[in-house]
Amino acid sequence: MNDQEFFDLALRVIGRRASDAEREQLEVLLASRRDLKAQFEEIRDDARLAKKVLPLMEAVGSSSGEFPAYARERLLTKVRQTLGQPQPAWTKRGWNWRWALGLAVGAAAVVLLLLPMLTQPGEPIIQVAMLDTAGPVRGEDSDLDALKAQWKHSEVRTFDTAGQLDTWRTNWPSGAKVAAKVIYDRAPGEVRVILHGPGNPLEKTFPVGQDLAATLRQAADFIREQTRR
Amino acid sequence: MTPPNLQALRDGDAAEWDVAFRWLWPAAFGAAQAVLQPYLPAEVEDVAIESLEELVGEVKRLSTAEEMRPLLAKIARNRAVSRLRELYAAKRGAGQTESYEAKQEAGGDLPEAIAPDDPVGALEHKELAERLGRLLAELKPPQGEMLADYFLRGLTYEEIAKKHTVALGTVGVYLKRGLAAMRRVWGRGGKDV
Repeated sequence: MNDQEFFDLALRVIGRRASDAEREQLEVLLASRRDLKAQFEEIRDDARLAKKVLPLMEAVGSSSGEFPAYARERLLTKVRQTLGQPQPAWTKRGWNWRWALGLAVGAAAVVLLLLPMLTQPGEPIIQVAMLDTAGPVRGEDSDLDALKAQWKHSEVRTFDTAGQLDTWRTNWPSGAKVAAKVIYDRAPGEVRVILHGPGNPLEKTFPVGQDLAATLRQAADFIREQTRR
Repeated sequence: MTPPNLQALRDGDAAEWDVAFRWLWPAAFGAAQAVLQPYLPAEVEDVAIESLEELVGEVKRLSTAEEMRPLLAKIARNRAVSRLRELYAAKRGAGQTESYEAKQEAGGDLPEAIAPDDPVGALEHKELAERLGRLLAELKPPQGEMLADYFLRGLTYEEIAKKHTVALGTVGVYLKRGLAAMRRVWGRGGKDV
């Protein structure tokens, strides 16, 4: 009997997969040869080890089996209890975030201080008004809508007396480097644009033809053109 | 599936743990099942969940995410063995007074998993992970699969030969080489542990 044949016989007996005849054959061999007895012990030790290691090896490499949904909350509770609530990423940076915040605030302050010196007159403040001496009773809102559509971010004031309009017209916003007032005088049918800036005040009148919206666009282009310089 | 981000797990990131639980589950379940399936099959899932809970507490001392599965498998196996020992202790309390060792020596039906000498349980998780990695590298296909077929699934030589479509005479050769590889990594009978 060679080594491999003895190994197979021993393994069948150890694995309880041997016939009575095979078991008897092994017993005879072990009784007569001491070297085979030692070999048998070695195979038995290896088999014991295999039974302990192989399940772990299989488990570690396994990808089958679905995680039971009911266990999720229990385990996440354990995570919270053991590791605490996760902190937002910025708090994990220790003191670095404070430095970053300080630098950002400093940079913002510098920009705010330098901005007026470094920039050309930017977007002007535009104030819009409509003078309708006939009063609002006429109920025609389309002109008002056209003004609101052209200057969406500006409040459109409505005056029914020239005196009120004059008061408004001379009252410029404080702190504004460049500002513009747009007055739609409905009775003569004209749009007046008054620019208030570092130089002399500038005023231009646009007669309104059939299309108020087109005239308002011209006025807006004028303001843009003048304040870009 | 790639291993989860260990730092996020340490930080208690719930979303990352969600990913991790799915990735880890087969290892926990498989290790518990290997011990408990013949005796306490209803306990397998519970032991796997308890093992995951224990792993949460261990995550801060791990160096890499790859260590998680071997460690978890070891935890699950140890917990399963404890559960099985409790079962046998209860039986002993009910009149079966033999010690584990005595019963094993007598060739009784004591599960091999709860035998006192334990080459797996004695290893630190890093060492265990390293040895399992080495063993996987040592076992040339289909040696590992055949060893599992013989020792875990109880197949005969004939069944293994048929399953792997190899000559009957070569099954024993594969098994012999597989056991030799295992001995190189773990020592004889796990004596290097």
